[in-house]
Amino acid sequence: MATDIAATPPPPDPGGGATTARDDGARVPPLRRIWSNYVFVKVRKAFVVVFVVANVTFFLGRAMPGDPVDVMAGRLTQGGMSMDEARAVAINSLAYDPDAPLWSQWWEFISGLATLDMGNTINRPGQTVAEAIGAYLPWTLFSIGVGTLVAIVLGLALGMVMAYWRNRVLDHVLSVVASVLGAVPNYLIAMLLVTGGGMYLGWFDPIDLRGTLSPGVEPGLTAEFVGDALYHAALPIVTYVLAIIGTWMLVMKASTTEVLGEDYVTVARARGLRDRRIAFSYVGRNAVLPLVAQIAISFGTLVGGAIFVEQVLVYKGVGGLLLDAVNYRDYPLLQGLLVIITTCVVLANLVADLLYSRLDPRIRT
Amino acid sequence: MTPTPPAPAADGPLLSVRGVDVGYRTGRRTRLTAVHDASFDLYPGQSMALVGESGCGKTTLGLGLLRLLPRTGTVSAGQILFRRKSGDQVDVRTLAKEDLRRFRWNEAAMVFQGAMNAFNPVLRMEEHFLDTFRAHERRTRRPRAEILEESAELLEMVRLDPARVLPSHPHELSGGMRQRALIALALALRPQLLILDEPTTALDVLTQRSVVEQLTELRERLRFSMVFITHDLGLAAELADRVGTMYAGRLIETGTTRDLFHRARHPYTSALIGSVPPVAGDRHVPEPLPGGPPGLNALPPGCSFEPRCPRATEECTATRPELRVLHPRDEGLSHAAACLHADGAELPTRGGHP
Ligand SMILES: Nc1ncnc2c1ncn2[C@@H]1O[C@H](COP(=O)(O)OP(=O)(O)OP(=O)(O)O)[C@@H](O)[C@H]1O
Ligand code: SF4
Ligand SMILES: [Mg+2]
Repeated sequence: MATDIAATPPPPDPGGGATTARDDGARVPPLRRIWSNYVFVKVRKAFVVVFVVANVTFFLGRAMPGDPVDVMAGRLTQGGMSMDEARAVAINSLAYDPDAPLWSQWWEFISGLATLDMGNTINRPGQTVAEAIGAYLPWTLFSIGVGTLVAIVLGLALGMVMAYWRNRVLDHVLSVVASVLGAVPNYLIAMLLVTGGGMYLGWFDPIDLRGTLSPGVEPGLTAEFVGDALYHAALPIVTYVLAIIGTWMLVMKASTTEVLGEDYVTVARARGLRDRRIAFSYVGRNAVLPLVAQIAISFGTLVGGAIFVEQVLVYKGVGGLLLDAVNYRDYPLLQGLLVIITTCVVLANLVADLLYSRLDPRIRT
Repeated sequence: MTPTPPAPAADGPLLSVRGVDVGYRTGRRTRLTAVHDASFDLYPGQSMALVGESGCGKTTLGLGLLRLLPRTGTVSAGQILFRRKSGDQVDVRTLAKEDLRRFRWNEAAMVFQGAMNAFNPVLRMEEHFLDTFRAHERRTRRPRAEILEESAELLEMVRLDPARVLPSHPHELSGGMRQRALIALALALRPQLLILDEPTTALDVLTQRSVVEQLTELRERLRFSMVFITHDLGLAAELADRVGTMYAGRLIETGTTRDLFHRARHPYTSALIGSVPPVAGDRHVPEPLPGGPPGLNALPPGCSFEPRCPRATEECTATRPELRVLHPRDEGLSHAAACLHADGAELPTRGGHP
């Protein structure tokens, strides 16, 4: 072939008859724009979901038997008040009038939510719904958050080990463990921990571990506080880790196994890259991508399970509060809790989505 | 520019493949031998094409040479002797793990079949170059800018615009650009051997041409040896000095490109050449080749081509033909064929046999 072999490299022809990619000129700014657009879309969707949930909660509240004002008034009359008087006190204290038109009730409720003003609790005199939730929710979020994080980190690592060593003894053993853990309900795990680890084996004193803080420990950014909070949250955290780690191991194994068969992994081996570099940047990173959505699923599962787990472990989180609200028909509190808890799950979803877009360059385009 | 290409080793072949078997584990106790008894010598600067029908073991042989087979695959017999840049001859089969890692890409690189997915989707192209250089530079940690400059030169060799390619993620490049970027990456460490597995199959005709022209040009400039796996006999004729035909896991004919295209002695090679559009103005009458290759786990006891061979005789069903030199030459260029009737001019076909 009569190709001219020059000593200097021939001038680059960027297209070379093979350009299907976008124009150079339109590259960077639109990328930015589209990316922020992606965020915008996700945030908007999260808002819509929260709004829908708030509405469902509102209308469910109206549809349930027994009006909060009646419930509270009923209780007040037992203290010797006349019915009319009791109703007036209840309406005043709940900042809610059942005789007002529905649309104005609705507006009160929705606009109140926007400022986190969800009225007063029925059963906790002097405490607003926001205060009650604020006192309990952080502990639940803390224990679930730490549990999710630990489970994800361990689950990803073990899942990768299983994929790299698949069909060996270790893989078989871990697979069985993961499947069993995935099948046991989380409150049962909590019970087994208390009876098995605490009472039978005597590894810890389950009575001492109860509650969220030891008496006398003041909240603040001190080592004592953080240490004590972790000490009391230890059992819930271990329960949560055990509850979801199995799923993480299995999905990570499947995802890693798939990535191990990708061309770019073989090419990376051919390129003589070190095993560690391949495992982290080529296999691990790509294997994690499809699992990011699982973060929010795990979080949601645990929030649901927390109600029972916290009861079993006597941890003073939002789970106990929710049960109280149901038992005492504290409707304002119940409504507030439902909206706030779903908002937390929706936020977890949002965080997962945004994280995914950061991790996968293909999403941003 | 980076150091000049390695001087061809004083004498002897760069790569000497001796009786290599490659197989896959297909079940608890079952194995499939996908390459049987492959032997050939490749001298420095030579370019050899491997041709044959789909499934005949070309990729398996290529991967086996660098021990890049999937978990289930192993090179189960033979030697893969390679003369390293240092001048020592090693058997790739016996290289220890870390030695093998340093051997790969530095001495022998491979451009894969379906290289569209050769790049890690979450890394930028520049990170692929950085990773590659850094994996092979042990003591001196060269500054990033210096490596990127060298990478830019490599990309310019395949006529890509480095300013455009390096900061991009793989999905932002077209298939042709990725393919050329991979070729540039493959040449980064100035390997002595480049294995290309159907490097142009997924590309449109124009892009194919430019890739082929650049390969020709790069080979003249950098003087690496090449094993070129392809379905496209036209490409083989253009890029290769020699051709090896594979059939059902065996090399059944090897020789210079002229030998195979003008004096093919194995009926399968003739049929293969006859089944493609004419090469170099030589108009063959296309002979349709009935049937398909035999299953690798149910090979006939004699010649594996026998069921489809127009020249087959009774003898062919019983005796397996060895690769036999018909026309000896130096530097691995002998014309050899594995056919019992390779030198017979007029042979009774089975139809005429009593
Ligand atoms: N991972 C594997 N496990 C089992 N068998 C395999 C595996 N890879 C390939 N084979 C078998 O080995 C034989 C040779 O396959 P190979 O990919 O080497 O063929 P090829 O000549 O490259 O074909 P093509 O032209 O289609 O790329 C085929 O019969 C194939 O089914
Ligand atoms: S050995 Fe016999 S069957 Fe095989 S290719 Fe030659 S003539 Fe055909
Ligand atoms: Mg192939």
